[in-house]
Amino acid sequence: MESSLSDRLAGLLGGSVILPVGDIEIDEVTPQAVVRPVDRLQISELLLWASSEHLSVLPRGGGTRSGLGNVPRKADVILDLGAFDQLIDYQPADMTATVEAGMTLATLQERLAPGGEFVPIESAQHGRSTVGGVLAVGAGGPLSHSYGLPREWLIGMSVMGTNGVSTKSGGKVVKNVTGYDLNKLYTGSLGTLGVIVEATFKLLPVDPQSGMLLASFPTLSDSLSAGRKLLHSSVSPMGCHSVTAGVSRKLQDSTQAASQDLGLGDEDTSLFFAFYSGRSQATRRRLEEAAAILLAEGANAVQRIEGPAAKGLLRWITDAPPQISDDAALVMKVSVQSKSSARTSAECSDIVLFGEKPEQMADPGFGTIRLFWPKYGDIQSTHSMEPQPIIDAIQQVRQVVARYEGSAIVEQCPITTKTQIEVWGDYPDSLAIMQSIKNRFDPNGILNPGRFLGGI
Amino acid sequence: MDFSQFLKSLQGIVGEQNVVYHADDLLVFEYDGSVDRRLPDAVVFPGNTQEVSQVIALAYDTGVPVVGRGTGTGLSGGAISPPGGIQVAFTRMNTILEVDTENRMALVEPGVINLHLDTRVRKDGLRYAPDPSSQKACSLGGNIAENSGGPHCLAYGTTTNHVLGMEVVLEDGSIVNLGSLARETVGYDLRGVFTGSEGTFGIATKIAVRLLPVPEAVKTFLGIFPDVETACTAVSAVIEHGIVPAALEMIDALTIQAVQNVSDAGYPDDAGAVLLIELEGLSDEVDEIGREVEAALWDTGATLVKTAEAAEERQQLWSGRNGALGALGSIAPNYFLVDGVVPRTQLAKVLGRVADISREYDIPIANVFHAGDGNLHPCLLFDERKEGTLQRVMEAGTAVLQVCVDAGGTLTGEHGVGLEKKEQMPLVFSDDDMAAMILVRDSFAPDNTLNPGKIFPDGIKQAAHGQRTFPGMPV
Repeated sequence: MESSLSDRLAGLLGGSVILPVGDIEIDEVTPQAVVRPVDRLQISELLLWASSEHLSVLPRGGGTRSGLGNVPRKADVILDLGAFDQLIDYQPADMTATVEAGMTLATLQERLAPGGEFVPIESAQHGRSTVGGVLAVGAGGPLSHSYGLPREWLIGMSVMGTNGVSTKSGGKVVKNVTGYDLNKLYTGSLGTLGVIVEATFKLLPVDPQSGMLLASFPTLSDSLSAGRKLLHSSVSPMGCHSVTAGVSRKLQDSTQAASQDLGLGDEDTSLFFAFYSGRSQATRRRLEEAAAILLAEGANAVQRIEGPAAKGLLRWITDAPPQISDDAALVMKVSVQSKSSARTSAECSDIVLFGEKPEQMADPGFGTIRLFWPKYGDIQSTHSMEPQPIIDAIQQVRQVVARYEGSAIVEQCPITTKTQIEVWGDYPDSLAIMQSIKNRFDPNGILNPGRFLGGI
Repeated sequence: MDFSQFLKSLQGIVGEQNVVYHADDLLVFEYDGSVDRRLPDAVVFPGNTQEVSQVIALAYDTGVPVVGRGTGTGLSGGAISPPGGIQVAFTRMNTILEVDTENRMALVEPGVINLHLDTRVRKDGLRYAPDPSSQKACSLGGNIAENSGGPHCLAYGTTTNHVLGMEVVLEDGSIVNLGSLARETVGYDLRGVFTGSEGTFGIATKIAVRLLPVPEAVKTFLGIFPDVETACTAVSAVIEHGIVPAALEMIDALTIQAVQNVSDAGYPDDAGAVLLIELEGLSDEVDEIGREVEAALWDTGATLVKTAEAAEERQQLWSGRNGALGALGSIAPNYFLVDGVVPRTQLAKVLGRVADISREYDIPIANVFHAGDGNLHPCLLFDERKEGTLQRVMEAGTAVLQVCVDAGGTLTGEHGVGLEKKEQMPLVFSDDDMAAMILVRDSFAPDNTLNPGKIFPDGIKQAAHGQRTFPGMPV
């Protein structure tokens, strides 16, 4: 009998780095082996060997976003980077830090805290999400309006290529135009070009004061238009979010559990969050003026939350998308120009799936809208859902978004639907360049094959 | 195709008056802001994307390498023509196509001057943040190619953090769009890797940039220090207070002397270093942080501190810094500006080593630099008419870069590699690192006909088309 892939990998890398596959699956594909290397040479050997054997390798951090992307063409080996979890260099006075890819984002922030600094990158489930994983996804969070995307803070990288050779890009200085900026290419490439091993970030000082305004509005559309007013005022927030009543109720439930009363009642209203931070006096002034603007724009009530409670609420918003997704049949993330966010949200709110309109979390500053359609009735298994109505809803969203020149990716849907769609949406006209880059970096197509757009 | 035929075809695309090819006319296109020179065979001035596309397609089919040119202010030889090449100059494509205040975005042609855009959008209470020192003259197309910085990129980031998307023409003349007007796009971040590719991936013909609101308050602080080391401790003290100023600039004693030679910027005769700090934000925040900054300056040994809030007074404080490079002419007729970057904590040590190099090579070095992000600008002062001087300057420049790299830094913070620093690339990047970069170039421009011979040291992978000259070309 031919020996199993795990056995062959144990022969190559040593038995101690082979883990049981357990319940890991990627889009219901069970991998043949899970490898957790402890030194970079083992990653190099694995990639070289997998290239020669045409085995697919799926890099993995905390596994929190492993459902993102198309169904993989093949899932042979999971490459777990959890053992690469060291802070390599941190100089508070330089405001930079170099960290291994397998460290969780929460741990990194904890390690930076004594220096009074943080990396302005946000992620849901940051206690599990790793630096490498967050970079591979490349997405923003609730404060993207001011922080932008992870790409803005990444200044250097070490990446292991499929040829088994480690290369670096950028460096450890905050301003650098030496050579091409490959950091940008790797960020958001979903692990399809190389394995991120190490990253260097520029950091920001932690502000002494932070505060959140929580306002309730009759409808999501009222909340969004008030948000736009606030964003264009002199007291523009660091970031803001409007959510539908269903999302608001989830927040009420969770804060009641934490015995915090938000004082907004349990009405069927849309909530609006605006986050501020800075020096104490200026932050208080902004909160006050912003609250007045929101009331003038038709808020039913505005509550001011300061200090750790504000950060806790920000954490809740950051973590909300995967939590709400648990009960969803379909989750889409739409990106449009910020000025189009209210109209896009309004048009998408009429798209019905299994008789239900979507819950929404919309960021009118950055132009990101998440749409969540609940599961149908009591059906617990997504398998029994008919794919066609879901595909129709996806098409309708994409028609709306096309009018505003945006994009709409499917973050979650039943596997029976996923096999029939392109989760990334319409292809940009630069797809041929992207495919060419992929073919040059990964000629045998071993890294996360098929998961990225256009078959990459 | 011989050269006269090629010229005729170019004229057919853009019009006779928009092609320059006589040797006399070409002289001004021989150089940019760096020390390198080479005459292009012709310079073409297209009026729109279609013309750019046709010109580049024609050059590609004819085997002529092409380099884009904005206004030629670059400091690394990026716009110098490759051998036997033509320049596509964007002088005519200088329209601000759209200013969208709702979306805080501007769509521009590549020939738009950086400051013209900023001036235009300030009418709407907005600004374009990247502000290279050459912003009165440099073009946004050139800014994209070089990923330009400027004093205020300490707080706001460089060009790459402000570009949303662009329309580019590839080496075969095809037109593609990179990025988008939405902040998040799908697929690889081609707009990100294109920015700073020094004209080797393609030529941008339309550029969408992000605009920021003009801050409510701006306050400028000028601190006089006895020497650079003391001023560097002030920089550290400010950062330790958790303050990220909008700008943090320093000039050293020799530069102060040059500035004072030209006009009185109000610096005392015995000043050893001038530190400029600018804060931006809400007025009460600027006031609160301003008090901390002022205290930090005095505490670390400033002999004089001046502050200004009104635009004119702030301009006064900046005047010495802004006029510094020009003022160096009062000390020597030429300067060679090195763009090395080091971690901020290494500044004082590295400047000490730069002073050693100045003594070893007997070349005066004046320092004007972005202290906040560790971006040094040592200016090696010399007279090129003295035989052998330029060679000594180049050697001293390389020695300075070696010091930067040894301190954990790099070759260039905002000027680009171009021709000037390509042979020093191996100080920072291995052959493997550069090979990975070239894979990306091969994906955009497989025949390497756009700005060939730049960035990478000769011998790694040379331009196949770089050496061709035309039969019958006017000399």
